[in-house]
This record gives sequence, C-alpha cells and structure tokens, in this order.
Amino acid sequence: MDEGRAACIFGKMIRNKYILLVFRLVVGGMFIWAGVSKIIDPLEFAQNIANYRVFPQGISFFLALVLPWIEVICGVSLILGIFRYASALLLSGLLAVFLVLITVTIIRGIDIDCGCFGDLSGKVDYKLILMDSVLLFFSLNIFFSRKAVRVKY
Amino acid sequence: MALKKLLLRVAFILFLGLIIGLGINFSLIKKYFLGDFRFGFISLEKYTSITFITLGEAEGLFSEEEALFIDSRPKEAFQAGHIMGAVNIPFEEYKKENALDLIFLPPEGTVVVYCDGSECNSSLELAKVLHRKGLLDIRIFFGGWVEWTREGLPVSSEK
Repeated sequence: MDEGRAACIFGKMIRNKYILLVFRLVVGGMFIWAGVSKIIDPLEFAQNIANYRVFPQGISFFLALVLPWIEVICGVSLILGIFRYASALLLSGLLAVFLVLITVTIIRGIDIDCGCFGDLSGKVDYKLILMDSVLLFFSLNIFFSRKAVRVKY
Repeated sequence: MALKKLLLRVAFILFLGLIIGLGINFSLIKKYFLGDFRFGFISLEKYTSITFITLGEAEGLFSEEEALFIDSRPKEAFQAGHIMGAVNIPFEEYKKENALDLIFLPPEGTVVVYCDGSECNSSLELAKVLHRKGLLDIRIFFGGWVEWTREGLPVSSEK
C-alpha cells in the first residue's frame, strides 16, 4: 500500500483519544469476559469448537486450551495500554476469523451455540455477525491509531 | 523497525497464551492422550452418571431389554427409521422450543442415548440434560444409528 492511500485510510479512522479509550475498554472488557468464561470450562469450549465441524478433534482441544488465554492477555493489555497495538492487531485477526467461521456456519445451516461466552453463549446467527463486526471496527481503530500518533508526534 | 517490534510483541502474546494455556491444563492434556475424550469433550468426573458404550454393549442391553433407548435425532430422521423400541427426544427441536424442561424420566433405570454416529453431538448434549435431571445411569452409544444399521440390528420405522 503506498503512503498516500494509507494516509487516506488512517485519515478516516477515529483518532480522538477519549473515544479510542472507550474502544479499548469495550474490546478489552469483552475479551476478558469471553476468555474467562471459557477458561472456567475448557472441555465445554472444546466441544463448542468441535460442534462447528471445521477442525479435527485434536485441534479443537488445543484451541480450547490456548485461545481463551490469548483473549484474556489481549484484553488486559488493551485496558492497561501495554502492547496495545499488538493486542489490537491480534484481536482484529481473531475477530476476522470468527466472522468467517460464523458466516460459513450460517451458510452451511448448522444450528449451534457460538461458544463465545461459555455458558452464556447465544446461537450462531446474524446478531453475532453484527456484534463481531462492531468489535472488529473498534479493534481496527485502536490498531491504526498507532500510525496517527506517530505522525502527530 | 516498528513492524518487527509489533510482530515480536504479537508473537510474545501468542507464546504467553500457549505456555499458560497448556501449563494450567496439563492434567486435561494427559487425559486427552490417554483417550478420555475420544468420544467427546466431557468431564466424566463432573457427569458421573454418564458412560460411553460400544455397539456390543448396546446390543447386550437391547437384547436383555434392560434399557430405554432414546433417539436424540430430529423427528423426521426418527420416523424414517430408528432402533426398535426407541423413543424420540429430538434434542435440537426441544432446545429451540425450550421443551427440554418438560422431559420427565424416572431417575432409576438405564437409558441409552444415541444419534447418528460420531459426527453428531446431540446424544452428548441430551445426556448432559438428563444428568442434570437426576438420571443415574445414562449410557451414550456413540456409534449410533450408523453403526447399528451397519450391523443389520433390529430397527423399526413409522412410515
């Protein structure tokens, strides 16, 4: 991407530091909640991943053990402001993958719980796409504010 | 370089998550490699009344008429064919209609829950519900309908 285009995209991103702080708190808080609710019962989460019928048994198990911790670490670091851009990048990637998974699951017509928030999970449906999209938007804004800050200072 | 630093930090977070996640769940990993979760991810210590059974064991319970067979597949699949004498509790439909609370089964006695086969999980989910309802002996026949019909065992249909 050339610099002109990049500047154009960053120009459209939100740079207000208070709004960005709210974004960080919202995304960080959501992921801490999501992560902790899954850490409590890794087997439940492993079964939820297996229900998507995308990953083999072993990978579902591995993801169920590791993914919630990555979510919590990213969430905490977003809120504390340590490694916030790396966290925002990682969470944006995760959210993008979740969006693809949810869409594919809806298209395949598989009726399952999303497994996003442990016992409190809702169904995989369009509302979930909306929520993930909003979080992705917040998260991308946090990540791209990195460039904005550097240009400013 | 800023990009390199960013990627290093991403890698650090991933590594940290990996170490903590695998470290804390070491006992589960051990169980995984011992084959405890080959039928599904369920803690048999938490769900004490649930056991997994093979085709042979299911056949034994069937011929001795010792257990109630419960088919957790959708109504249409059940009507098209099911294990002879089985009753239908279509898990997904009941869940959608919040009808799972209405199930009543006596806590004593053995039930065998099954669905299609290893690809389905409604038998596992239904077994969890039955456990919460206080049933004391729930067997999950994981081979399910696929294994049963492959062996040519007794079936019936409602069509």
